[in-house]
Amino acid sequence: MSDLERDLEQELHRVLDAVSARPIPPRRAGHAGFGWRAAIGGAGTALTIKVLTGVAVAAAAVTVAGAVTTGSLNPEVWGQQLSDRVVNCKQQIANSGQHGIGDCVSPFASQHGATVSSAARHHGSGNGDGNGNPNGNGSSNGNGNGSVNGHDKDKAKDHSPPAKNSSP
Amino acid sequence: MGGTPGAAEQPATERYEPGSDADFERLYRNTYRRILGTLVTIVRDVATAEDCAQETYERAYRGWARWRPEAPVEAWLHRIAINVAISDRRYQRLRQVGEVIKRLGRPAPGPDPAVVAERSELVEAMQKLPPKQAAALVLRHYHGYSNREIAAALGIPEQTVASRLAAARKHLQAVLGG
Repeated sequence: MSDLERDLEQELHRVLDAVSARPIPPRRAGHAGFGWRAAIGGAGTALTIKVLTGVAVAAAAVTVAGAVTTGSLNPEVWGQQLSDRVVNCKQQIANSGQHGIGDCVSPFASQHGATVSSAARHHGSGNGDGNGNPNGNGSSNGNGNGSVNGHDKDKAKDHSPPAKNSSP
Repeated sequence: MGGTPGAAEQPATERYEPGSDADFERLYRNTYRRILGTLVTIVRDVATAEDCAQETYERAYRGWARWRPEAPVEAWLHRIAINVAISDRRYQRLRQVGEVIKRLGRPAPGPDPAVVAERSELVEAMQKLPPKQAAALVLRHYHGYSNREIAAALGIPEQTVASRLAAARKHLQAVLGG
């Protein structure tokens, strides 16, 4: 054994024997130390926050989208009201001899559109896309599908699919 | 060699049942001091070494049910401990960068007398070695492991152990002027 190795052993024993003589602490149970360190300060937190935010946003989006799509926060109520309205309009038109129930249904759809778009704004959609035009473009096609998304027909062109790229 | 009992010198009667909580607690009591001794030479101070030791046993406990009784248990623990120490070194390096940036323009704080008391030039020099070299040194010269046992513990060829020991000794000789 070289002098260096002998000195090494002596010095290691001098220092480490003193450290090792300390009482053995109780074993730490559960996740502490690096586990918490990573969870608190590392990617764990970022991931958790992202997941929770995603869930919250998705839940809000489903609520708002459901309301906007069906025209009511309670789709059953809105659907029944609309059906009743259409039946009434058909009867009125049959009695008056007019054609098409659009003019009859449209005001109802517009009013409902305004109500729902207001509700959508209160849900904090905040996406700035102009959804929920209070004027509601109640279409006069007789189906009573009062559009509440504020997209007029010209804007609808913007939603056409992009031209297919023919290049390989 | 006057090391503390190495893996080969462990009492043959010590048998552990994988997955047994009682046996893991016994393992903890039997090995904690040696694991701590190894960690002290790799990480920056005793408090960090204690933290790393606890982390080592937490990781070991998570794999305790899968530990095979035919594998030397202390070698397995040392392997985990060295990985924990390497992770801690990386973490400390990142933290130091942050500290340096925060301290820019301010005087550095004086050394803590309690920390100075437990330091030695040799341990300080070892703490600056690559963790795997420091681990090889302490396993060889403090715990009394043979090169073959170190190779088994770290999962590396014996030749690699020899070269790590040689590099570590050379570095210490240069630093300490031995």
